[in-house]
Amino acid sequence: MSLQFLLNGLVNGSMIGLGAIGITLTYSILRFSNFAHGDFMAWGAYAALAVVGVLGGSTPLKPLSFGWPLMTALVVAMALTALLALVLDWLLFARLRARGQSIIVVMASFGASMALRNLLEFVFTSRPAYYSRAIQIAMPLGLGIKITADQIALLLLTVVLVTGMHLFVQRSQRGREMRAYSQNPALARVIGIDVDAVVRATWIIGAALACASGVMVGTLVQLRPLMGLDLLLPIFAAAILGGIGSIPGAVLGGLVIGLSEAAAVQVIGAEWRAAVAFVILMAVLLIRPMGLFGVAER
Amino acid sequence: MTILQVQSLIAGYEPGLSIVRGASIHAAEAEIVVILGPNGAGKSSLIKAIAGLVPITGGQVLLDGRDITTVPAHLKIRQGLAFVPQTENIFPLMTVEENLRVSGGILPRAEVGPRIEEIYQTFPDLARQRALMAGSLSGGQRQMLAVARALIVRPRVLMLDEPSAGLSPKLVEQVFARLTEIRRSGLTIVLVEQNARAALAIGDRAYVLVEGHEAHEGPAATLWNDPVIAELYLGQRRAS
Repeated sequence: MSLQFLLNGLVNGSMIGLGAIGITLTYSILRFSNFAHGDFMAWGAYAALAVVGVLGGSTPLKPLSFGWPLMTALVVAMALTALLALVLDWLLFARLRARGQSIIVVMASFGASMALRNLLEFVFTSRPAYYSRAIQIAMPLGLGIKITADQIALLLLTVVLVTGMHLFVQRSQRGREMRAYSQNPALARVIGIDVDAVVRATWIIGAALACASGVMVGTLVQLRPLMGLDLLLPIFAAAILGGIGSIPGAVLGGLVIGLSEAAAVQVIGAEWRAAVAFVILMAVLLIRPMGLFGVAER
Repeated sequence: MTILQVQSLIAGYEPGLSIVRGASIHAAEAEIVVILGPNGAGKSSLIKAIAGLVPITGGQVLLDGRDITTVPAHLKIRQGLAFVPQTENIFPLMTVEENLRVSGGILPRAEVGPRIEEIYQTFPDLARQRALMAGSLSGGQRQMLAVARALIVRPRVLMLDEPSAGLSPKLVEQVFARLTEIRRSGLTIVLVEQNARAALAIGDRAYVLVEGHEAHEGPAATLWNDPVIAELYLGQRRAS
């Protein structure tokens, strides 16, 4: 049996984990399941494609399949996706949150998701798009596993983003405020935490990481307007498996889901891949609803 | 000098359903003011409304002469008004030090560290537990942390909602002794309590709240020694 699925699962799990961070932050701080999060990934990926188009093509930085334009586009697209999330919150979610019924916000996120997806399809069509069509030569790692330069770069990017995110949440005052608000919103207000600033930080971080995840998918696979919808179940499963509110949990959950999907493809067939996240999600909800790192509701 | 003045306050969670109905209280500098009353009198709602957590529909809250009635909850602490809720008054999944650090967020960054060390001198037990998760502390330690957390920004008025709730008599004694010490620094304390005996023992003045407004006011000792008030509103006969 080839062990290549381990590497494939790790890479896929990184993308899922980055997406799951946004889901877990939104749920624990804003207290709703944002079903438009997958579309932030797609919008981020397409925003990067648009920026690459504006910057123009350039010679790839060998052995990578991409060059400086995509790297620059990633940063710009992360900012644009964060802006999209802030605008959506201002237009829609904030007004509904103020009414205090989270189910209405959840349903609104369904609507926003469809609107964003269709808009993306309208602008970019449903045909797959690519950042680069350069062919990558995989390098052998041993044990029959091969890895491409793009995969190494994107795994490193994941490590950098997750480490930076973890340090931000644990060490910075805004990060402490986000954790405090997720634990007790009323007390957070009493001690002087600016709730609006916490909400903004949550959207900015979640959307920027969703964009990074989307660009990774676009780099390693392809861009499609439905790419966010396809990733929605795995990222929710990862966030719930890791424990809502836990960033390390979301990343670990993403890796578990990614590896499980890759193992399913290897062992029982590619047609079962999509079912894996669903099975894991159901199992976690039935056996340990608080997830791996979550805390039981008191 | 009056620091906190509440005039004819009307407040409640739902429109048209006021819990606080025209309450007026005041507290002077370095004074301990106790708010007592039967269950459902609106004591907790009154200080929550002052803190900005219950919508106010009428009346005024003045802090040092400034009208803070409509100031949002998160800005009241910046004006010098601190509040310690009855329950869930710490962040359990953060360490003791993180609780203090996040609460000191409104101070200039350079002041936070030295201020935490000052707090540790006042609360030496917390210094020993600084790396522990706040959720693992005992009830008394949690109350001490909640008070310390509120004091870190040097408020002018500290409002506490039933700090004795769920504590053993010995711990209640310790918490109230610490409040008496803290008052010596010039801090004004407004204390909502069910434990009338313990609260009146450290209080200067007291209000008895009935049906959302003050029914009686006077020096703490006078209220405690009034057999009618003690029996009707404080839910107890004096032991001696």
